[in-house]
Amino acid sequence: MTKLRTLSTAGAMIALLSGPLAAQELRFTVWTGNDAHLAMLNGIADSFTATHPGVTVKYETIPAGDYVQKLTFQLAGGNPPDLGWMFENSIPTFIAAGAVRDLAPTLTSTEGYDVADFSEPAMGLWTQGDSIYGVPFSTSPFMIYFNKDMFDAAGLEDPLTLAAKGEWDMEKFREVAKALSEANDAYGFEFKDGQGYDSRIMHAIMPPIRAYGGFAWQDGECGFNKPEAVAALTMLHEMVFADGSIVPPGEQGDYFSGGSAMTINQISRASKMPEAGFNWGIAPLPTGPAGAAPIIGQAGLAVFSESKNPELAAEFIAHMTNAENVAVMAQFFPPARKSVLDSEAFINANALIPAEQMANVSAAIEEGRVLPSHERSPQIDAAMKPRFDAFWRADADVAASLDAVCEAIKGEL
Amino acid sequence: MGTLPDSDTTARASRAPWLTLRRREAIEGWLFVSPTLIGFLIFFLGPLIAVVFYSLSEWNLLSQKTTYVGLANYADALTENPDFWHVIRNSVFFAAGLVPMNMALALALAISLSRPGKGVVFFRTVFFAPVITSAVAWAIVWKFLLQGEAGAVNQMLAQVGIDGPNWLREPNWAMVAVIVTRVIKMVGLNMILYIAALQAIPRDYEQAARLEGASGWQIFRMVTWPLLAPTTLIIMVITTIGSFKVFDHIYLMTGGGPENGTLVLAYYIYEQAFEFFNIGYASALAMIMFVIVLSLTIVQLLLRQKGSA
Amino acid sequence: MELTRTQSRILMRICWALSLGVVAVPFVFPFLWMVSSGFKSATEIFGQPSLIPRVWRWGNFVEVFEYQPFARQYFNSIYIASSVTVITLILSSLAGYALARIRFAGAGLLMLFLVSALMVPEEVTIVPNFFLMKWLGVMDTHVPLILLPVFGPHGVMATFLMRQYFVALPKELEEAGKLDGLSRVGIWWKIALPMSRPALAAVAIITFLFSWNLFLEPLVFLSSLENFTLPLALSNFTDPYGAPLWHLQLAATSLAVLPILIVYLIAQRQIIESFAMSGVKG
Repeated sequence: MTKLRTLSTAGAMIALLSGPLAAQELRFTVWTGNDAHLAMLNGIADSFTATHPGVTVKYETIPAGDYVQKLTFQLAGGNPPDLGWMFENSIPTFIAAGAVRDLAPTLTSTEGYDVADFSEPAMGLWTQGDSIYGVPFSTSPFMIYFNKDMFDAAGLEDPLTLAAKGEWDMEKFREVAKALSEANDAYGFEFKDGQGYDSRIMHAIMPPIRAYGGFAWQDGECGFNKPEAVAALTMLHEMVFADGSIVPPGEQGDYFSGGSAMTINQISRASKMPEAGFNWGIAPLPTGPAGAAPIIGQAGLAVFSESKNPELAAEFIAHMTNAENVAVMAQFFPPARKSVLDSEAFINANALIPAEQMANVSAAIEEGRVLPSHERSPQIDAAMKPRFDAFWRADADVAASLDAVCEAIKGEL
Repeated sequence: MGTLPDSDTTARASRAPWLTLRRREAIEGWLFVSPTLIGFLIFFLGPLIAVVFYSLSEWNLLSQKTTYVGLANYADALTENPDFWHVIRNSVFFAAGLVPMNMALALALAISLSRPGKGVVFFRTVFFAPVITSAVAWAIVWKFLLQGEAGAVNQMLAQVGIDGPNWLREPNWAMVAVIVTRVIKMVGLNMILYIAALQAIPRDYEQAARLEGASGWQIFRMVTWPLLAPTTLIIMVITTIGSFKVFDHIYLMTGGGPENGTLVLAYYIYEQAFEFFNIGYASALAMIMFVIVLSLTIVQLLLRQKGSA
Repeated sequence: MELTRTQSRILMRICWALSLGVVAVPFVFPFLWMVSSGFKSATEIFGQPSLIPRVWRWGNFVEVFEYQPFARQYFNSIYIASSVTVITLILSSLAGYALARIRFAGAGLLMLFLVSALMVPEEVTIVPNFFLMKWLGVMDTHVPLILLPVFGPHGVMATFLMRQYFVALPKELEEAGKLDGLSRVGIWWKIALPMSRPALAAVAIITFLFSWNLFLEPLVFLSSLENFTLPLALSNFTDPYGAPLWHLQLAATSLAVLPILIVYLIAQRQIIESFAMSGVKG
């Protein structure tokens, strides 16, 4: 009994003495639950702790589907995390609401941190004037994944070969998709993760729209009913309903289990390929009348205004996005730092993707444009969704339903 | 207690003990109900009153800014926002489809299963099983079964030569799908309420009618149905209110789509509050929902009084 | 051919069984399909429909636990539902007893007041409750999931169910208790409660299932995976990039539904009666 008491008194003394140093915890929200991702992130946290004794970083996984919502609940619910991952389509909303902090003072004053090393197009979304509200950690272009076996079965040249010959354009894409679906017991093409009609509408429609030279919105103007977008979406609609070469709404044709011959996705998805059991490759997006139009999906790091340790959180971001750690993260997340991007190491970083295919990835990162986003994207998405449901009917009048899309979102732009 | 040992009778008469039996009972009564009552005031009545105030403000959850806007949220819903009337229409369709189908099926099943016999317990167990199952699980499974061509329902329909619709992709079929799957989920509850009511009807009534040469249908119309009236009314109230509350089922099966075809009031409130973070507007919608449910209940109760008078 | 009375009765019975059997298909098939799909690969689920998987992938059921802290989420659901049940039993039987057996001013009004709650959907009060819970500092904890069912419309319903039962108990109950020198609490605990086991069982069954199946409240109040309850976890089988994992979702759904279903099959009479009581009274 007395022994116990002595012990606990001693414990209390130690706690008291070490008080000023101790126990600063950074809560960091992420949407990955992947063990390899978390191990890497924890490694970066450990190297931060080495220079900041007493600081711990706790990663909290929030599922991707509800990420923004749950994050907002935590911020508004008096239980704010300090920093976290942000999707490209939600950062404008957070900046407009004043929910994320300006990192520029910390980043510019951190020794050896070269902000200019980040490619300018990649930073566009995350900066306003001199303020930096986030630092992209993943700048991942969309690529065409193809099932080589199905191309062989149909006697077709694969997209890589076609791209090398300069023939990989939208016309060819349509032709190939149709031939593939006829030659195989599968669809020719599947939208990203089969979600093109639901949560990934933009990922489905933006590649062709940009290849045709169109846009989603610009300076408050809606682009979906402009001739370029109408032409692109008419083609897509015909591929789904006339050719039957794209997995239609409500049907299943999972590329990774052989339900489709091609799909569009980011290189992180290559991790699913080893178990797929077929030969495969990744190729650039098909070009269109407007030339090549690579498209990038981004994710960044931000410190929340509600954070209780904003300075420390900003320092951690500076640490996580320094040249050394960006190189570490490049094994999973394509970097936006030019120094890393140009390095041999990056081209060879991905064990699953051959170097010459990775070169296409690098090129796409440097030339690509980020998916459209807007400070009112939740409202725009919600207004768009029902109108695109109508567009994706077999008997839809394409032009009229795109007018309806624009009519529905113009108030939000 | 209450009396002192040395007090005389006159003193007792003039100064009656404060803690009379009645007072004691009252204190005991209020003490017994107080935990429930206090919790009810804090977590139910308080919030109900708060909604009224919230509904008068414009309030964004993310930026945490609040401004008083009077009745603007109501005006927005009732006159400006086309979605609102669409949502009301959907909610009415949903209730109008669900309530009669549920009640008719419940009554039919109850009549088939009200008398003891071989297999009765088995069928009752089967029809009631979805009631105890989580709505989330139910909606998830049906979402799969109702997929386009690959879904099990359409595959089965194809076996008998029917080309089934793309259930969850066509607004009208999606509405049909959520109604029917909801009926299957909940009909068991109304079935057992009807069975209980049927079993409470004395057998002599039916026998007497039979002796007078009434047919089965006549007995049902003239004897059973009128005697079931109170039960029918209760079931109608419960089912109607229940149909306005349905959230999880729609959240998981259709997400309010396609083309907002299944966007009902409960889901719309959730979407406005917790996806767009429009706290004020969502609160105004909540008040509107409260008024709708309250008036439906009152109307139904008035109908009962008129019926029994 | 004339049918005898017995023959026609048997024929009627067969028709009865056949027609109910057909109606029963959509009630039973989802369960069978759910379990069988839990064993399939994602591809096979959408292949030729068959209730027997080509390959029984027991691994799905292991993967479920690797993908999310599913065991933890399962435990959350169990302990939350148990807490809600115990607290509801105590509070509703206390209040129900008072409303039934103690005469005090305002009881009638109180009843009317409480009963009005039964008509108010949770969606109406969820927004202010969000801010109330924020103010209490219990966001992303299980406290709201215990408090709201206990004190919301469901708690009121339980109180009424108990009250109806207590009203019907014999008049002499209190007198016997007083003769034994019991206080009010003693009478409630030692006499009234033991006599009302069926009502308590009914409240317990309905309350447990109510809490077990709750979805809106967990959706709004919980944000970390390890705090999720089962229904929320089930709706959340997507990979880190948001793509659905169907086979895992169905395996997990089977794991969540089957234990309840088995208990139901064993105690179906008791469970069905409990719901009948609540419906009639509520």
